[in-house]
Amino acid sequence: MFQSVDEVQQRFRDARYIAGRRISTVVYLASRMGRPVLIEGPAGVGKTELAKTLAEITGRPLIRLQCYEGLDEGKALYEWKYAKQLLYTQLLRERIGELIADAPSLPEAVSRIAGQEDAFFSHRFLSPRPLLSAIEAPDPVVLLIDEIDKAEPEFEAFLLEVLSDFQVSVPELGTIRARHIPLVVLTSNNARELSDGLKRRCLHLFIDFPPPAEELQIIRLKVPEIPERLAHAVVAAVQKIRGMDLRKPPSVSESLDWARSLVILNAQVLDPALVESTLTMLVKYEKDLERVRGALDKVLAD
Amino acid sequence: MDQRILEFIGDLRRAEVRISPSEALDALAASTEIGLGDRDTFKTALAATLVKEARDRETFERIFNLYFLDLQALGEGLKKALGPEDPRVQGLLDQLMAEEGLELDELTELLMRGEGAEMEMAIRSGGRNVGLERLMYFLQVGYFSRRIADNFDLSAIERDFAEIMALLEAKGLDPGQLARIRNYLELRLEAFRRMIRQHVERELERRAWRQGEKLTREVLADKPLFALTADEVAQMKTVVARLARKIKDALALRQRQEQRGRIDTRRTTRKSLQYGGIPMEIFLRRRHREKPKLITICDVSDSVRNASRFMLQLLWSLQECFSRVRSFVFVSEIAEVTQAFNTYPVERAIEWALKGANVDYHCRSDFGYAFSQFVRTELDGLDRKTTILLLGDARNNYNDAQAWALRMIRERVKGIIWLNPEGQWGWGVGDSVMPLYAPSCDLVRECRTIAQIGDVVDNLVHHWWRRGR
Repeated sequence: MFQSVDEVQQRFRDARYIAGRRISTVVYLASRMGRPVLIEGPAGVGKTELAKTLAEITGRPLIRLQCYEGLDEGKALYEWKYAKQLLYTQLLRERIGELIADAPSLPEAVSRIAGQEDAFFSHRFLSPRPLLSAIEAPDPVVLLIDEIDKAEPEFEAFLLEVLSDFQVSVPELGTIRARHIPLVVLTSNNARELSDGLKRRCLHLFIDFPPPAEELQIIRLKVPEIPERLAHAVVAAVQKIRGMDLRKPPSVSESLDWARSLVILNAQVLDPALVESTLTMLVKYEKDLERVRGALDKVLAD
Repeated sequence: MDQRILEFIGDLRRAEVRISPSEALDALAASTEIGLGDRDTFKTALAATLVKEARDRETFERIFNLYFLDLQALGEGLKKALGPEDPRVQGLLDQLMAEEGLELDELTELLMRGEGAEMEMAIRSGGRNVGLERLMYFLQVGYFSRRIADNFDLSAIERDFAEIMALLEAKGLDPGQLARIRNYLELRLEAFRRMIRQHVERELERRAWRQGEKLTREVLADKPLFALTADEVAQMKTVVARLARKIKDALALRQRQEQRGRIDTRRTTRKSLQYGGIPMEIFLRRRHREKPKLITICDVSDSVRNASRFMLQLLWSLQECFSRVRSFVFVSEIAEVTQAFNTYPVERAIEWALKGANVDYHCRSDFGYAFSQFVRTELDGLDRKTTILLLGDARNNYNDAQAWALRMIRERVKGIIWLNPEGQWGWGVGDSVMPLYAPSCDLVRECRTIAQIGDVVDNLVHHWWRRGR
């Protein structure tokens, strides 16, 4: 898939995603070793985007499993289409009647029906959810398990089993083994500590806010119409605001939003009034806002 | 190299980074995939396979730097140590080598080329040969340096040098030039000896760090809180932060939907419509786990000053973790500090709680008065979801204990937990009124050392909130 770390970096770049050396190395390792990657880091630094871009550059379909509290195996793996099964039994009632019409005894009738059971518990009535789709897929895929920290620890344990063997057993159908090992990306916002087992299985990647030079690249790439001077000023200001001990420091996605809105407002330089009026793009809590407003001259100072 | 990586993993483990055998194997596999070409990439590969917790990254970083030297930087440094490169002399030597097809000792070649990285590798393997892992004390540095130097055949180098000089003389170089070349080579050899010594010293540093680290951790964890120096207080901060994190994690594991309980008829009926009115799937009413509501009350009188520092630190972290925490401090008057804890960063908040809160800091502590005042002002705000965490030594300076106040509080709340920074042997002795208060508390714990705080926190998390008492 990839021949070298540099190639990973270049291909991410071509897909308009600035991947630092560390990110590229881990992606490269994951593709070579067939290990899942667990990405941690603050919200909005491009964790999910990384998985999407990875799917794009490898030309694989992306299968996404969004985790939330109360997510269970039924929603993640597979479900029987009960309603459809029920409907079919209703429609086929007569045929079933014929089948057992001449059965001499009840046990005989039961065993005749049992003989047909597979008809109802077959792939036709199985609705695959993300995990099963990823395993069954005829072509290799990228499986994104988003915000794993939102799911319960029990689900994590279950996931561990799937991720270590890449096989799933459906009692009625038997074991389904993956044809290709999917590239698995898990993301976590660190709402809770993940279990050791899961961490052990995965390659670990921590994505932090990017260094200024990298952020500048990202802004230039994603907001190409931004004037060069403004881009520099935006990065400098964002860096300072991040250093301010806020409840929610602005992330890359926020600085991009900010840069875009500045471009829409046709700004050439950052002046206090402009910053003041667009600050909500960057800082989302009232208390943080006050704080940044109070130190605006420092933020804008060169 | 695998050997080196395994040693490195061993040291990480000793520094309390948990690494499983499968992770170690991953690290080896990853290093094979990546190769050693680029130090940073190599480091990332190891970090991705070995370090899974943010808090271990710093340790990893430090030990990595002790183990895997920045060969490039080292090479530069060595170039400097080897003395200025004299291009003319170097050129002459190269020419000589090319023309005469000289058979030189490996080491001589290294010296001539001045390849820092390769030299370092040579020294390292020399170290392995002489059992450098036995190095323990500073006094051994000289001994081991000599042993490693002996490992290399220095006489062969001397011989090579002599041969080179002879050849050069035969070429008819003038004595001044010869002396310069001689000097050049000598300097390189000398630098090489210095490198050996530096290598041994670095090794010693690595070992010392390993020992020291372990010692600090053990000693600190069991040292009584009031006996800590300012420096140790600073170190403890990380420990407390870790504890707070632990509580947060344990509570964040939200209750799974229960397998039993009352049926949620609305959802069950709605779902049954899909199946022609047959309730194929049963939904149960979801029980919400109550968020812990916590009131912390901390003694900040002079007698427990150092201990309170910690306790306040713990309170501050608790308040940061949970939305429904109120914090109080008292000497004899009691005052709420919730607001200050919310606004100030930890250092300032603690200073403020110890000096600036709305209480008289100069009187002697009076638990009875504080509790009775708390009853008067706050009793109405208490409910069955509230847990009260009390931190103090219960040394009441012979004032009236007013145990009734604590009893009244107990009747209103879910429970009272008392953490006492004084040893159990002191409870009830002198002016300690712990035995009078203890009956009103659900849990009384001695909390003298950081290790004990750790235990208490674990206990709280597991038996208090998780069981949903």
